[in-house]
Amino acid sequence: MKPENPLLPYLSTLQELIDLTPDVKLFRLELNDPDIRESFDYKPGQFVFVSAFGVGESPFGITSVAHRKAGVDVAIRRVGTVTNALHQLEPGATVGVRGPFGNYFPLDEYKGKNIFIIGGGIGFAPLRPIITTILDYREDYGDLVIINGARSPQDLVFAPEFDTWAASPKTKLELTVDAGDEKWTGRVALIPSVVSELKLSPQNAIAVTCGPPIMIHFTLIELRKLGFADNQIITTLEGKMKCGLGKCARCNVGDKYVCKDGPVFSMEQISQLIEQF
Amino acid sequence: MSEFISKQNLLTWLGQLIGERNLVAPTRVDDLLLFRKIDRVEDIVFDFDNTTLSPKEWFFPSSETLFYVDRKDGQTELMPAAIEKETAIFGIRPCDAQGMTMNDYPFLEEPADDLYRQHRDITALIGLACITACPECFCTSMGGGPHDTANVDILLTEVTDGYIVQVLTDKGKALLPDNLLATADVSSPLAPVLSEIPSEGIAEKMRQAFDEPFWDRLADRCIHCNICSYVCPTCYCFDVRDYTDKERIERVRSWESCQSPGFTRIAGGHDPRSTKGSRLRQRFSHKLLYFPNQFGALGCIGCGRCVRACPVNIDIREIIQDVQQLGVKSEA
Repeated sequence: MKPENPLLPYLSTLQELIDLTPDVKLFRLELNDPDIRESFDYKPGQFVFVSAFGVGESPFGITSVAHRKAGVDVAIRRVGTVTNALHQLEPGATVGVRGPFGNYFPLDEYKGKNIFIIGGGIGFAPLRPIITTILDYREDYGDLVIINGARSPQDLVFAPEFDTWAASPKTKLELTVDAGDEKWTGRVALIPSVVSELKLSPQNAIAVTCGPPIMIHFTLIELRKLGFADNQIITTLEGKMKCGLGKCARCNVGDKYVCKDGPVFSMEQISQLIEQF
Repeated sequence: MSEFISKQNLLTWLGQLIGERNLVAPTRVDDLLLFRKIDRVEDIVFDFDNTTLSPKEWFFPSSETLFYVDRKDGQTELMPAAIEKETAIFGIRPCDAQGMTMNDYPFLEEPADDLYRQHRDITALIGLACITACPECFCTSMGGGPHDTANVDILLTEVTDGYIVQVLTDKGKALLPDNLLATADVSSPLAPVLSEIPSEGIAEKMRQAFDEPFWDRLADRCIHCNICSYVCPTCYCFDVRDYTDKERIERVRSWESCQSPGFTRIAGGHDPRSTKGSRLRQRFSHKLLYFPNQFGALGCIGCGRCVRACPVNIDIREIIQDVQQLGVKSEA
């Protein structure tokens, strides 16, 4: 049998398109081939390339969880050529899906620990599968604190799920925005200062953070001040990439490839990289 | 005693190869010497130091369709690109053959790159040992040599009236009919002696030199023309884009260079390697530090093409020497 060509996408159908913010949509995708669909497994933190045929393909963190067996979801912010083309699509459209690629959050190692999820803007999207997994297997994990921040209230992703998250046992949801509006009664603060204010305890804890580089930078400073060791701080990186296989040589940070060795790294691993992004 | 093929028999053999497969060999294209598909034996150039470009493009084309997207009656279908017939590349130098082996490391690492693997599988390499060397050659410092047999299927070494023949693989054996060969009492000419570049231990020295201002200073004169990547047998960065022509969409892979501004710029505008110094450091770190860490071999084969081509005289041989010295200074 001819080996599978890893650069060839699986034809897939856009099942549903949900507006999350003015410029972020949730794409619910289903692989067309029933056999491939059945065997397509992925873990929290992994990513796929999604193709808008004729325009190109880009990598996106998967926001759904495989154990719910409901296809592949990605949250896509309209920001470049491919994402603009994807945002133009209607349900029923054919797209390409390639993957899953990369490593994943080692959730088995987080069992019994308190988990702090700290996400900014669209950077929150790849963290959602951790939340869903913890809530689906709630007894396996300790306390869950979710910090979701955005530029404005309407830019907060996954708003329809906030009530469910907040109502879950041992779970606290903290929303924050850089600037509120007339209806906003919540927090107006930058994410790092929320981290500092909540005095998150490093005792038996893991902090997972993703967002703009500047947010990660200052969040890291606050977490270290609170006593978190670098192996307790986890992030997921992004990089310009074309293949997902460690071959196109675009997404390397030093001698590691974000697509293959990552995207999930601990701060301990990142601080050992020769190149600092 | 050596196996020997006369010049006349070599021409006969190459003529036969043209009939049964693609024959690719050095030929003049304007003022360049390039590996092109040959229709007439007379077009082959036998007397040269090295070709302008390596035959890398026969395994990893400068532009190659990965697949076509056909849309008919609302149905979308992907048609993978098909690979051409069996190919023999005649006239590859031992350094370039080593370069092709270097490219195997990333491309054939599982999951293997399908098109590259197919190109490799159907292609045989008939090497020509080097009798002379260019002033920029330094293969012996990078693990190769002018008469290196390691990466070709057949190696020919020119002697009076013909060539010594070394058939090195089964692929080579299947290519060359015995009746064209003779046994002759000729000895191989001496390999040209090349200047030595201190490549020993360079990976560790590159690591130590990583944060030195050396890279920014060196990059001051770089005009990011990308010619170094273009002529390099072992540069393998690629880009992938979609093209639409009337109803047909194709996804195309093409050569890219880590020296391009914006090579690492992501959506939203963040570019982790936005300075020329960081990009230049990436090119040499990849070849002399990351590639050895990943695959255990230096990612440069010492062909000297980038040295010849660079319009501002950025010279990998000098960089290796300078970085070795930087290391000495920081140890002191």
